[in-house]
Amino acid sequence: MLPKSYLAFKWIVYTLATLFLCALQSFVFSHIRILTVTPFIYPILPAVSAMYEGPRRGAYFALSFGFLCDLLLPAPFTGFFVIVFPMIALLSASIAGNMLSPGFFCALLVSALGLLMTGGARVLLQLLSGGGDLTLRAWVALTEALLSLPALVVALPLFRTIHRRCASDY
Amino acid sequence: MNKRPSDRFGITVLALAALIAVLLSIMGYFSVTSAPLPNLAGMIAAPFRSVSASLAEMAGSWSAYFTQFDALKEENQQLKLKIAEMEEIVRQAQADRDENVRLREAVGLREQRRDLDLESARVLAQDTSNWSSLLTVNKGTAHDVAVGDCVVTETGYLVGVVTEAGLNWATVRTILDSESSIGALVFRSKSNTLAQGDFALMRENRLTLSYLGTEPDVVSGDLIVTSGLGGYYPSDLVIGHVEEVRTSDNGLAQYAILTPEAELHDLVQVFIITSFDIVD
Repeated sequence: MLPKSYLAFKWIVYTLATLFLCALQSFVFSHIRILTVTPFIYPILPAVSAMYEGPRRGAYFALSFGFLCDLLLPAPFTGFFVIVFPMIALLSASIAGNMLSPGFFCALLVSALGLLMTGGARVLLQLLSGGGDLTLRAWVALTEALLSLPALVVALPLFRTIHRRCASDY
Repeated sequence: MNKRPSDRFGITVLALAALIAVLLSIMGYFSVTSAPLPNLAGMIAAPFRSVSASLAEMAGSWSAYFTQFDALKEENQQLKLKIAEMEEIVRQAQADRDENVRLREAVGLREQRRDLDLESARVLAQDTSNWSSLLTVNKGTAHDVAVGDCVVTETGYLVGVVTEAGLNWATVRTILDSESSIGALVFRSKSNTLAQGDFALMRENRLTLSYLGTEPDVVSGDLIVTSGLGGYYPSDLVIGHVEEVRTSDNGLAQYAILTPEAELHDLVQVFIITSFDIVD
């Protein structure tokens, strides 16, 4: 069991990495438009962190990150991210613990599922609130997920380095 | 059957998440401008957003200096011609206005007045995601900004409406957002209509003009302005021009596709109409 001070240090590093990826989303990815769709990489973060850190810590990270996203980002309703991101984290940890060992393919799978869950939840909520055109909304959600997956090239090595370095240093 | 510890933990986390979501919703429900926690988060994030907006603006200006020179030169020539045409129109309008004042005095009507209190604001972030079209600006309740205030460009083109106001920040829903809906007027025919954002058109930088009826008096090129009906928004704020008129799928009504005058993706500075007094 790692001492509390070391755990705090590790999660501070994770927080800095998260801020870096959020800055990437704001400065880089939000200006990329392919087929009129923009990448949205935030669901990848709870997925990859839970893959490495397990269900408990991954869920706490997802809860915190989702809470911040709800305070700062537009969402279908207040509390959207704080509900969806822990679900992504729990699913990701379950897949990493039972199906695939943590790595590139596992990260690809859990990130894809996380992105599709987020997009799918948005589509469902908009349909329930009277928004029409299911096909278009589903297409946007799917395209958004596909365009966001390449962000794993940055997110995965970053989180893997933090996880392995902190585990080996102690 | 006993639940495994991992199952219990998962259920606990989801229950905690649901509780947080409910608490955030309750805070938002009882707040007129912005819930306390989002307000606090917005206040803390405002300086960082301001720095990032400045950096993005600098980078954009630097790259535009090298990439847009020829386009700007051509646009400059076109604008000079347009200015000359408009100066002629302004001279005629001034004469018409003077005549209008004399006639209004003659029949005892009140003097026309159009007073708008404007608060200049800088765009901190453009949340033009795939699902919404929102802006965050650096003025809030401390500057008399309130939910429902209209936001315009320096040339008076409508940008959107304030939907959330913190102490030193505000969220503006642009006219492109699929939840946006503003009373509009066809300037030429004075037909009342509704300018609404549309999910399918949002990413194409267009919106729709609805409730035109079966035989609408609107054609491609028509100028669309705010109607001001109900007194919620000022009248005669330019929304955009009609691009084309289409028939709905059921064939019973027509609607128009509108191109906004404001360049909503390149905004750096906007003006919030904090109060207005219009006498027609």
